[in-house]
Amino acid sequence: MRTLTRRQISVFAIVLILLILYPLFVRGSFPLHIMIMVFLFAMMGVAWNIMGGYAGMFSFGQAAFFGIGAYTSSYLLVTYHVSPWIGLLAGGLLAALAAAVIGIPCSNLRGHYFAIASIAFAEIVRIHFNNWKLVGAAEGLTLPILNQSLRNFEFHSSKVPYYYILLGFLIFSLLICSWVSTSRMGFYFRAIKESHDLAKVVGINFVRYRLAAIMISAFLTAIAGTFYAQYILYLDPESVLILPISIQVVLVAMLGGAGSIMGPVIGAAILLPISEGTRVWLGFKGTGIDMIVYGTLIMLISAYHPQGVWGLFSRIGERAPSAAHAAEQSIASAGAGTRDATSASPADRGGEGRSES
Amino acid sequence: MGGDLLQQVVNSFLIGSVYALVAIGLTLIWGVMNIVNFAHGEFLMIGMFIAFWSYTLLHLDPILSIPICAAVLFILGAASYRFIVSKVMTGPILAQLVVTFGLSIFLANLAVLLWTPDFRLIEKPLLNGTWTLGNVQLSIPKFVASLGSVLVSAGILLFLRKTKTGKAILAVEMNRESALLVGINTERINALSFGVGAALVGIAGAFLSMYYYIYPQVGGLFGLISFCIVALGGFGSIEGAFIAGILVGFVQTLGGYYFDPAYKYALVFLVYLITVWIRPQGLLGW
Amino acid sequence: MGNVTRRNFLIGGSALAVSAWMVPPVFAAPKTIKIGGLYPLTGNLASTGLDCRRGAEMAVEIINGKYDLNLPLAKTEGLPDLGGAKIEMVWADTKGEPKNGQAEAERVVTQDGVVGVIGAYQSSVTKTASQATERLRVPYVCSDSSSPTLTERGLKYFFRVSPHDGIFAHDQFNFLKDLERIKKQKVQSVALLYENTEFGSNVGKQEQKYAQEYGYKVVEDISYTANATDVTSEVGRLIKTNPDVLMHASYITDAILFTKTFKEMGFNPKGMLTMAGYIEPGYLPAVKADGDYIIVRSTFALDLAKSKPLVGKVNELFKKKYGIDMSENAARSFTAPFVFADAINRAKTTEPEAVVKALHDTNIPGDQVIYPWKGVKFDPQSNQNIYATGTLVQIQNQQYVTVWPFESAAKDLVWPFPAWKSRK
Repeated sequence: MRTLTRRQISVFAIVLILLILYPLFVRGSFPLHIMIMVFLFAMMGVAWNIMGGYAGMFSFGQAAFFGIGAYTSSYLLVTYHVSPWIGLLAGGLLAALAAAVIGIPCSNLRGHYFAIASIAFAEIVRIHFNNWKLVGAAEGLTLPILNQSLRNFEFHSSKVPYYYILLGFLIFSLLICSWVSTSRMGFYFRAIKESHDLAKVVGINFVRYRLAAIMISAFLTAIAGTFYAQYILYLDPESVLILPISIQVVLVAMLGGAGSIMGPVIGAAILLPISEGTRVWLGFKGTGIDMIVYGTLIMLISAYHPQGVWGLFSRIGERAPSAAHAAEQSIASAGAGTRDATSASPADRGGEGRSES
Repeated sequence: MGGDLLQQVVNSFLIGSVYALVAIGLTLIWGVMNIVNFAHGEFLMIGMFIAFWSYTLLHLDPILSIPICAAVLFILGAASYRFIVSKVMTGPILAQLVVTFGLSIFLANLAVLLWTPDFRLIEKPLLNGTWTLGNVQLSIPKFVASLGSVLVSAGILLFLRKTKTGKAILAVEMNRESALLVGINTERINALSFGVGAALVGIAGAFLSMYYYIYPQVGGLFGLISFCIVALGGFGSIEGAFIAGILVGFVQTLGGYYFDPAYKYALVFLVYLITVWIRPQGLLGW
Repeated sequence: MGNVTRRNFLIGGSALAVSAWMVPPVFAAPKTIKIGGLYPLTGNLASTGLDCRRGAEMAVEIINGKYDLNLPLAKTEGLPDLGGAKIEMVWADTKGEPKNGQAEAERVVTQDGVVGVIGAYQSSVTKTASQATERLRVPYVCSDSSSPTLTERGLKYFFRVSPHDGIFAHDQFNFLKDLERIKKQKVQSVALLYENTEFGSNVGKQEQKYAQEYGYKVVEDISYTANATDVTSEVGRLIKTNPDVLMHASYITDAILFTKTFKEMGFNPKGMLTMAGYIEPGYLPAVKADGDYIIVRSTFALDLAKSKPLVGKVNELFKKKYGIDMSENAARSFTAPFVFADAINRAKTTEPEAVVKALHDTNIPGDQVIYPWKGVKFDPQSNQNIYATGTLVQIQNQQYVTVWPFESAAKDLVWPFPAWKSRK
């Protein structure tokens, strides 16, 4: 990802100002709730990008980190009255640790293999939490309703403080992502993505950087989890550890443009209002039309515009012209790891499972 | 009666063989065009519904509706490839992963729209009841499903090895470029494989409908397990998928029996993870 | 790059536009009282959500219209002490997710101006929805969620009319004691089987508690995934431990699967006491005669019409409107609108504090409810209806018949559970 042009920066500044002013113009808890959901998934999408869009590790199991974050801070609060802010850090660290533990053996996996392994991992976490009496098992944890304050990380009379806190978290995540992409780590990721062999020759230590990416991603996702817990004040495995959350994160990043910093933000801004909106306007009929629309949208985007919305105004968002070229050409497109499946040879493809390190 | 190891072993095989059939369809698609069909569970669900409607409207026993399930799913699979999946073949891997997710959401909710979320059951399949063989209770519908799955698996293996089309499919699986050089129409093979893969899971759906309840979201867990089975067995390996399917049946059933039923699926996923770490290409993958 | 700027604005602005469109609630016409109904109208539990919704809709129709029924406010059109104002339901789809419970509760209160909320069937969703209404200080009357924890949170605005799982579990053990005392059938061991979400595991916990208290031996305690692909491991374990009685808390999918597997593997305890899934309308059509002799906890049974004609009349109306008999879920959701309407009517206003006070003063007599309760009266601390009790029904000839309490049973209990092989 190139550094942003001055024009782009000024555009973002304007959008940021609008977002800051938004709660002043728009009253009502539902519009704020939608934006909070947008920020939440934007943040998780950005976190996902760090390991997926940039380093090519497509995780379909982010819910595991989301849940670990939410549960850690909530458990500490409920049992030991630890401040949610400290719990937030603890959750992040624990998630990063879990990411390292799973990341080391999985660091050799790529593409489809990694995706499925991430699903398997997340499901194991979910099933375990569902049976773990310490954290309430299936009943989950109910957070105490405390006096509203920043210190308690709880607000009752208005959602506005939640809005700004999460916006702050989102900006923080974007900065981290930007730092990753412009740092040496980001450079190495692009190298790995564009050509395995070249990177190997140059001697880049894959494992270490991949691990770093996974851990940062997990850390940020866990913070989002803590926010969720403090926002809803109740969590159980079915609300924070399920596969649909992980999928939503991927969709947000992909729709917006995986491999771009702002991509997930745009993706979330589009997908979340649609998802919330269709439920409100179409869902109550019970016909499933809202999800049919959703599914169709996903197919269309994947098929016809996989580089996402960001690719619309990024000149570099070209799709691979033909099968034969794709695997070799270095395309710094917003799509992560452009690679034509059809031209993959067995070594490559089976080697989707293993790569040099 | 029925509470001991032998019973559980039998049950392992019964569920495992159905898993195997589901997984074989998936591995075929995967092997040929490197696409994970995340809508595979929904194909299963549609197969089950076809069997149900054939039973309800045409009074056809599930066994007899197998050809219908296979045919409809074949068309659905080939069409999915032709109109949707083929567009992402030249695109980013992420798009390939995600497009079939979209298809799965679409199909599951289309089913809700068309058939409501209610649960259906085929009440009186032709082959019903239980055999008692010594200490073991053998459910007849499950046995038939299992036997059928084994036969169909063997059948598809023969098809791939012995027929011209089958060999063409295998050729593409092994090396696409060479296949092209030899004059094989890879696009056609892709569509065909998707269709055959879908047909196989459609047949599995017909078998399952003999004893399992049917509803739009039924594909969820079956689909998830089949991904693990395919990866466990090795992408593209039919034999691998079969063995892995049986293996997973054992892990799930014996794990549930001896360890803790609450964790039985976690055990399946764990076995998958461990295998893939030690041997990333799966048991029989290349 | 001018295009870029515009597009970025469009995208950034779209989210703003979407939300700006949601205008604050227009004041309701003075003649309607809006109540929010939160249910899983799509998703896995959609058929249950629909069931519940129908029950509530039926109630609202009766309240708004003029019916010769001995139900609160049935004989008048609308709420007489508010000038005949009618109830208007505002439905919201929770999709079965707790976070939507919160969002939808807030939305219907702040955007649609509802003065009260009912729902949401799933206890985890009711939890967050009622937390939201508590923060917003709006009354919530729940008649279809059964987790005991809901009324243990010390909430001031949340009321529950129906029995909770603690009561149901207690019923099961009272039944076993009665069985021994009156029918002279002894039971020593029980096995607990429950699906692994909040509902099931809570029931499991309650049953453990009462088992200890009443001195029954728990020989097996199994938690499982509701949508399992296969349950032969679980049933295998049950067969191995050979309990006298099985206690099973399930949803409908697992109820079906387990029934088939019990039959297939030949699991024959002396009795099966079950909850929820077995009384869903979809269960018997799916398993037919295989459901016979299973006992289910119930709040509602059609055969209550024998001793309470009101039940029969209401069911007639329901059947005419929807083409099917009233189910347990529909019957439970049927109550909340009445409790609300009764309270609002007595309060003569929709102002929340007054309504809450009126709810505390609720005293609906037993003959005005379609259950075998003494009535509706809320405990001043927990806001739980102290008269909410359950009964046990047994499936006989594919019908649900009340068998306990023995004094009010419609038919005799069949005990022990006839072995599978000996049937048909």
